[in-house]
Amino acid sequence: MGRQLAFVLALWKTNLLSAMEYRVAFLTQVFGMMLNNALYFVFWIIFFARFEEINGWNLVDMLFLFGVVATGFGAGTYLFGNAVRLSSLIASGQMDYYLSLPRPVLLHALASRSNASSAGDFTYGLISFGAAIYFSGSFGSLMLLRFTLGCLASIAVLISFLVLVQSLTFWIGNTSLLTRHAFNAIVTFSLYPITLFDGTAKLLLFTLIPAAFIGALPAEFVRRFDLLQLAQICAGGAVFLLLAVYVFYRGLRRYESGSAIQVRM
Amino acid sequence: MPAITVRNLRKTFQLKRKAAGLRGSLRALWRPTYESIEAVRGLSFEMDDGELLGFIGPNGAGKSTTIKILTGILHPSGGEAAVLGHVPWQERQALAFQIGSVFGQRPQLWYHLPALDTFYLFGKIYELDDSFLRQRISFLAEAFEIEELLETPVRKLSLGQRMRCEVAASLLHKPRVLLLDEPSIGLDVVAKQRLRATIQRMNELEGVGVLLTSHDAGDIETLCRRVIIINHGEIVYRDKVSALKRRYLTVKTVDVRYNEQLAPDFSLPGVEMVKVGRYGAKMRFDTRVTPVEPVISGLAAAGSLADVTVSEPSLEDVISAIYARTEV
Repeated sequence: MGRQLAFVLALWKTNLLSAMEYRVAFLTQVFGMMLNNALYFVFWIIFFARFEEINGWNLVDMLFLFGVVATGFGAGTYLFGNAVRLSSLIASGQMDYYLSLPRPVLLHALASRSNASSAGDFTYGLISFGAAIYFSGSFGSLMLLRFTLGCLASIAVLISFLVLVQSLTFWIGNTSLLTRHAFNAIVTFSLYPITLFDGTAKLLLFTLIPAAFIGALPAEFVRRFDLLQLAQICAGGAVFLLLAVYVFYRGLRRYESGSAIQVRM
Repeated sequence: MPAITVRNLRKTFQLKRKAAGLRGSLRALWRPTYESIEAVRGLSFEMDDGELLGFIGPNGAGKSTTIKILTGILHPSGGEAAVLGHVPWQERQALAFQIGSVFGQRPQLWYHLPALDTFYLFGKIYELDDSFLRQRISFLAEAFEIEELLETPVRKLSLGQRMRCEVAASLLHKPRVLLLDEPSIGLDVVAKQRLRATIQRMNELEGVGVLLTSHDAGDIETLCRRVIIINHGEIVYRDKVSALKRRYLTVKTVDVRYNEQLAPDFSLPGVEMVKVGRYGAKMRFDTRVTPVEPVISGLAAAGSLADVTVSEPSLEDVISAIYARTEV
């Protein structure tokens, strides 16, 4: 475990060094993404200026939700940047590199790239969480702990979901388009109050598109401690993680490599 | 014990077939058809510890597929293989600690960073002790003459410089076997020679075994003592490089120039006249049919000699001839 941690830390350090080669591009992407998120949230500010709440959720709940989702999403896709490119890595034969080195292929592949814009999401998430604390008037070290746990669970489910969808590449070929749709769906649904959905739609958000584990559930847990919710987010994270690892490695046996000319960025 | 043992290795790929045009695309969407392509057909060979083995063949012969199976990147469809006692596709991680690999078309170095940063990352990947890593980098930097290049971003290096850094990176963990897939691809003559010299030196210094695939017969001729030629996934020739040359370099080409005019009907028995001019001629003969001595005597008897050049076909020509004989 310690060996893998040292290896992943070294990878993240190398990613950071690579990003710092182009500081202006890095900062532009960070601030661009923060602005993008802020503009998106303006919609909810306008909405809640007219309606006090929606199915029990108010503006402060939305700030918590955006805090968890953006922080989790930002940290997840910054630290495991290839989670959004796995399909093209598999389809173009770029897994060769990870397979030829003595490290777990999935971990190595995921952590070998950092998205600069994700740092913007991460920063925006922290700001949103700070605003949620300010407007709710509740803060404590336990809330900080719950926020950290909630974000970790959110990251686990998000990355696992992306790995699961893109592992289909091993069976059906390039799934870049499917990945883009799945990515948009998971992000969109995770940023809505869960109380808007019921019946089949809610079931889908806990299974096929597990947005509930990425947004609503951890956000509610951050706001107030609930043992059942803690169990749900931990179980959700663990189940999706194990499933993603299992499916990816099953698919890897079918990997066919490729002969395209490649560059390591 | 051999470093690499391969027995009846096979690899079949499923290739989707589609007719050209919109109709073909629609048909493939509705009812896709697949064709089995046998990239490797029952290969068997061995490579000794510390040996420099050339593995050559035309495009699509199965060289890279074989190397990818031996590094654990691909699972074979059948057969057996062991590299340093490990079954590559079952013990990939354990094997990767003991072998190094360089794929000419798949760089390992981070493009925007100096090679030194990748070297330090590889130190963590291979769990190398910090002081060992520093010594090793210093040793390889000197051996590969890359001291001045290590702090330059890889994107600013020439292809030859980059390739030397690539091979150095693959040797950081002191592997016992190095698998090189087209390391000289795209390099100019000088860069090729430097790379070959360094690989040879590392083989001599550390006894690292090298399985080398290349399109360039010069790589094989300079580096390897033994060669395996494959075509259509099968071995078509295996022997020492010297034996290959002896066996196939029997055709001699002679360019001759005289101080006086040649007879218009100039010819020699058993010799094919390629071109006959007023003061010289170009001819070809096979030493298995026509011995060298009567040809040289015949040339001397034909007039006052100004110059004679006897040349052999290049190894590339020999290999082309072998490929041509095995075309299906």
